[in-house]
Amino acid sequence: MMMRGGRSLVSSPPAFSNDAKKLLVCTSNTVSVFSTATGLQITSLEGHTALVTSVVVVPPSSPAAKVLCYCWTASLDGTIRYWDFSVPELMKTIDIRVPIFNMVIPSFLDIPAVDKGKHQDLFAYVFTEDTKETQEKTKALRRQIRKCNLSKSRLVGRLILGETKKPEVLTVSPSGKFFGIRNKCKLHIWKVPDQGSEHAAVRKITLHHTKKITVIAFHPTQRVIAAGDVTGRILTWRGFGNIAFAENQKLINIQEDKPGVRDNDDADSCSTWHWHSAEVNVLSFSSDGAYLYSGGKEGVLVVWQLDTGKKKFLPRIGSPLLYFIDSPDPTLSAISCADNQIHLLKMPSMGILKTISGIKTPCCYPEMCKGLGNGIAFDQTAGLVALRTENYCIQFYSLFDDRGISEVHVCERNHQPGDDVTVIVTAVALSVDGSLMSTSEVKLAEEGIGGLVCLKFWQAGSQNKEFSLSTIVYDPHRDAGISAVTFHPSGNMVVSSSFGGDFKIWRCNNDIIQNDQMHQNFSWTCHAVGSYKKRPMTAAAFSADGSVLAVAAETLITLWNPYKNVLLAVLGETLTPIVNLSFLGKSDNLAAASCGSNPQLSVWSMSKLSLSWSYKLCIEAVASAVDSSSFAALALLPESSNETTFKGRDGVILLYNATNPVPTAIWSVKKAKGGALGFLQVNPSSVEEVDGKTPEVLLAYMSGDHEYVVFDPYCKDAHEVSISQKEGLSSLELKGQGGQYGYASIYGELPEFDKKSPETPWVPSFPSERPWETIFSGSSHNLPPLTKLCSAFLESLLEKRTAAVE
Amino acid sequence: MAEIRAEEETSTISKTFLIKPKLKSKPRTLPQTPESKYWSSFKSTRIPNLVSSISSISFSPSPPHPFAAAYSASVSLFSPLSLSDGDVSPSSTISSFSDVVSSLSFRSDGLLLAASDLSGLIQVFDVKTRTPLRRLRSHTRPVRFVKYPVLDKLHLLSGGDDAVVKFWDVAGENVVLDLMGHKDYVRCADCSPVSSDLFVTGSYDHTVKVWDVRVENSRSVLEVNHGKPVEDVIYLPSGGLIATAGGSSVKIWDLIGGGKMVHSMESHNKTVTSICVGRTRKENCGHKSMEDRILSVGLDGYMKVFDYGNMKITHSMRFPAPLMSVSFSPDCKTRVIGTSNGIIFAGRRKGKENVESGGRGNVLGFENISEPERRVLRPTNFRYFHRGQSEKPVEGDFLVMRNKKIKLAEHDKLLKKFRHKEALVSVLNKNNRENVVAVMEELVTRKKLLKCVSNLDTDELGLLLMFLSKNATMPRYSSLLMGLTKKVIETRAEDIQSSDALKGQIRNLKRSIEEELRIQHSLQEIQGIISPLLRIIAGRR
Repeated sequence: MMMRGGRSLVSSPPAFSNDAKKLLVCTSNTVSVFSTATGLQITSLEGHTALVTSVVVVPPSSPAAKVLCYCWTASLDGTIRYWDFSVPELMKTIDIRVPIFNMVIPSFLDIPAVDKGKHQDLFAYVFTEDTKETQEKTKALRRQIRKCNLSKSRLVGRLILGETKKPEVLTVSPSGKFFGIRNKCKLHIWKVPDQGSEHAAVRKITLHHTKKITVIAFHPTQRVIAAGDVTGRILTWRGFGNIAFAENQKLINIQEDKPGVRDNDDADSCSTWHWHSAEVNVLSFSSDGAYLYSGGKEGVLVVWQLDTGKKKFLPRIGSPLLYFIDSPDPTLSAISCADNQIHLLKMPSMGILKTISGIKTPCCYPEMCKGLGNGIAFDQTAGLVALRTENYCIQFYSLFDDRGISEVHVCERNHQPGDDVTVIVTAVALSVDGSLMSTSEVKLAEEGIGGLVCLKFWQAGSQNKEFSLSTIVYDPHRDAGISAVTFHPSGNMVVSSSFGGDFKIWRCNNDIIQNDQMHQNFSWTCHAVGSYKKRPMTAAAFSADGSVLAVAAETLITLWNPYKNVLLAVLGETLTPIVNLSFLGKSDNLAAASCGSNPQLSVWSMSKLSLSWSYKLCIEAVASAVDSSSFAALALLPESSNETTFKGRDGVILLYNATNPVPTAIWSVKKAKGGALGFLQVNPSSVEEVDGKTPEVLLAYMSGDHEYVVFDPYCKDAHEVSISQKEGLSSLELKGQGGQYGYASIYGELPEFDKKSPETPWVPSFPSERPWETIFSGSSHNLPPLTKLCSAFLESLLEKRTAAVE
Repeated sequence: MAEIRAEEETSTISKTFLIKPKLKSKPRTLPQTPESKYWSSFKSTRIPNLVSSISSISFSPSPPHPFAAAYSASVSLFSPLSLSDGDVSPSSTISSFSDVVSSLSFRSDGLLLAASDLSGLIQVFDVKTRTPLRRLRSHTRPVRFVKYPVLDKLHLLSGGDDAVVKFWDVAGENVVLDLMGHKDYVRCADCSPVSSDLFVTGSYDHTVKVWDVRVENSRSVLEVNHGKPVEDVIYLPSGGLIATAGGSSVKIWDLIGGGKMVHSMESHNKTVTSICVGRTRKENCGHKSMEDRILSVGLDGYMKVFDYGNMKITHSMRFPAPLMSVSFSPDCKTRVIGTSNGIIFAGRRKGKENVESGGRGNVLGFENISEPERRVLRPTNFRYFHRGQSEKPVEGDFLVMRNKKIKLAEHDKLLKKFRHKEALVSVLNKNNRENVVAVMEELVTRKKLLKCVSNLDTDELGLLLMFLSKNATMPRYSSLLMGLTKKVIETRAEDIQSSDALKGQIRNLKRSIEEELRIQHSLQEIQGIISPLLRIIAGRR
């Protein structure tokens, strides 16, 4: 079995179905159909073999036809397909053999369903790339606008409406009479010819502007066109094409005043609004034409009243806006954001009803913080992945369900797109059972002052990964950055290693406060500090039983007893600093990955305390299964070999058995830089059996732009895509309108409430006879005066010595 | 009964605004209730020297509501406005009577006045010119009452000792109807405020009869027995109830309910001679409303105010003579009582001149049927916007808590407005270390701290240096503050050199840092002593 997911929901504009109950979203090679009521995926249209670039829902010809669910999709694979997306079923495929970047079908409204005797043809206008004539023509103008006869399944021969260098977005007016594109500082508008012969002359006008135009929108009823440019201005031309598109072709050549119109363009007037500070990405008229929606990089949706220019705002969306789609239902619309979220808006009030949450895109960080790890942690039991996002959150994404579960806001800062990044979440670690989380963040210093490193411990709420903060540690390793945070298998111990040359072991004190209800309160205190020759500590790992802690001190591996904080052994030495350490399941082997000029993947035997084997490989990520001895490593391929053997794939996943240096399986992958690997435990209920046996573990690979694939590493035919899991989900969703659909399907099964564990007796606290055990915990300003501390401290030494004597 | 039910309804409405009963014990002597305060607020004026007993008093329905009093063989008109000025002389007198005048009645528009005398003659006067316009002669015995119907300008009602009630056509001076039925002197009558056809008469044969001029055979439609010779009868403003006075009791009857007695008030000691409807002001939850009362006077010299909604006496007043007649002006400002020895006690309330001019017999008289209205607060009224604000929550009410307003300190407000330097200066002035450091940290995240430092003027720089010299060596803040101190001294070296005050701050700073260095040195010495010990311990374990 194999699952893919994490695809971008915002590669091209979504489309609402005619009853506004479904939203069709282009997700790479498929079109996913989401329910607008629940925000969950219902089904998907699969068949295209490349990125789907456009989806057009057939509007109803009569009110009764509203329930019909037909759509056209166009893709880069050169096909246009016709679907019934309620079933879902492919009904027709038109292969025009050139990649389609964009498609509009303007003339739905004019088409009677069955014309008497003669069926009129349906035309689409497509933006294609001319692949054949590359040799003869200049390479610059390869992108063409062509007309396609959908009824006869072919392009209208030799009719090229326009050519541009880059693929542009075709925009069609809601009335279906015009369509246009932007082309640098120009705007081309075509009038859709009336029905008739397919070679009818298409008339065109051009409007000019001084800045690069980014987006255009047509007014639904009047001849008004709005365009946004890179500086944030919104231009509105009124009465465009009065001369060129006049019905009776008479030349009305009256020199009249055309305020704001440039270069004798064919428009009555042009007015400018300027609110956006950066380029306008979203422009859309409301269906009655009274309002204009605009949005851009600031992540603020602006509603302009067209007559007066008054503005209303929906601020704090938190991410640049990409598309705004009106639905047939006037109370619903959708905006797509650059962080892979689609928000469904309740319309006049502009409240966010539901969010279709895709996986967050990787965030880009300043140079100095590269190499701190990719900030991706896998929750093995629940099949979740925790990844840091741009808005200082940790997103929990369900790999099996392919949807966002929750977000934990880590820093107390609001994110505004376009701000300078001053706080960075550097690491995230999850305990094995997924109930505890630890994050570290760095506040960047301003010219050397005011930097701050924070280590935070979180505990999960009762359900649904709602984490609450339990402990904050400021500057845990003085001012040095944290290189790694790892949980002990038992969950009550965390090690954090720093570049400053030490590592700290944090222990969890589990206080149970007895209020009306049981309330567990975790507090974390430093249990031990260790360092090895003041070398920077670059990686840390606990063994599977938790008895050994391995900390990488640059090129050496130090082994410690985490409970007593005693150095057990030092393993020696790699060529470059180790960035990744991992104990290999239950076996007594340790894998270490180092990067730099001499990258190395080495496996060390704990029993012999020596190197078993090593490869010279640049390892991006290492993952080991909990209870088997095999491990997987994601290796980046050297750049020289890219072109020839691997067809653009830049990484391989190698599956090893710990003792055997020959990999048991190899998969080549794309976009491995910044990728992550994780083994997931199989929950038998969630996975369909393949060939009568369930796979023991699943391997999840997440690529650099957060697309992922989950597969059984031991299955021979792992490349065969099985979608059984998804169909199970979709049938559940369809049934969900009526009956078996409730708490469990949204929040998952209720956790088994163990009655025994809360019954830990409530111990009344009494002054300990060993005050030194607690006296140093807590923050520095709570410390008692030096005179008190000193005696207690010396007393503790005395006590330990007697213990040692015995 | 309808009257009472309506009253109960209003009382249930008022229940929602119940004020908590006070737990204080009641004082022994009852304080003046608002109502008795109201009734005693009529400033009484004596009009003396009218020859004999005042047999009848009548108010004109048209403002300014002059009233006429009949005494002996003359009728005097008084103006209430001059009364309040202390002028007790009548504004005019009609004396074209041959016998004692028994009864007076104004027409509903206040232009005509009908008067009857004991000779059996009824005369209709023009009030202005005081000339008799019509003389109605038909009664063979003394006429005891004459009454203009409330809604009718053309007819008159009269009755007298011949036990016949006559319904006159005034213009033609002829009798329309002779209503026979009473067996003794007919003494009093009143016309329905809601219908021009209904009226009620009371007689010495103890009965009160309700007549309807539309009934053909001229028989009464309803009859109630008062039990004593009836001296006076009135319709209450709703038209459904009547009050009768006879003997020492006043009884209230429900006409709609078929002539059932509702209540009998027995608080006079002697014969009740006259009753009328008065109105009192009632204040309920801040808005005023008018309520009707029955005013009764008797030979015992008492005037009693009877609340027929709650069936109790709300006020009583003693006068030094037997009282013969009472009347209450429609604008609720004048109350006139006539005595048997020729004195009129005219009470006049002070107050705004345009108090509701409602009351009995306003131009059309329709106001009489209206319930004692509670004025609905409208958004045009200012109090509308304050209504209910002083209400206390009742148990069981759902309380909607207002969100707590977040109070921001000054530096937070300035930070919100991106006025970074001002925020830093304001927090430096506040003398709170934690806040200063927090603001500095926030400025660092906004990458604005050094810019702020370079923009500080000399005084503000002094503030900053003072703060740094005090706190730079604190271990908790030193990581941030030591770096900042360095930067400040580097960037602002010229300013510091040019100012003596700043140089002083720098000296302080230097001193505290030297002290810190000393401490560090001694600590290092201690560490040097301890660390071999620790090594030994670690080796032994």
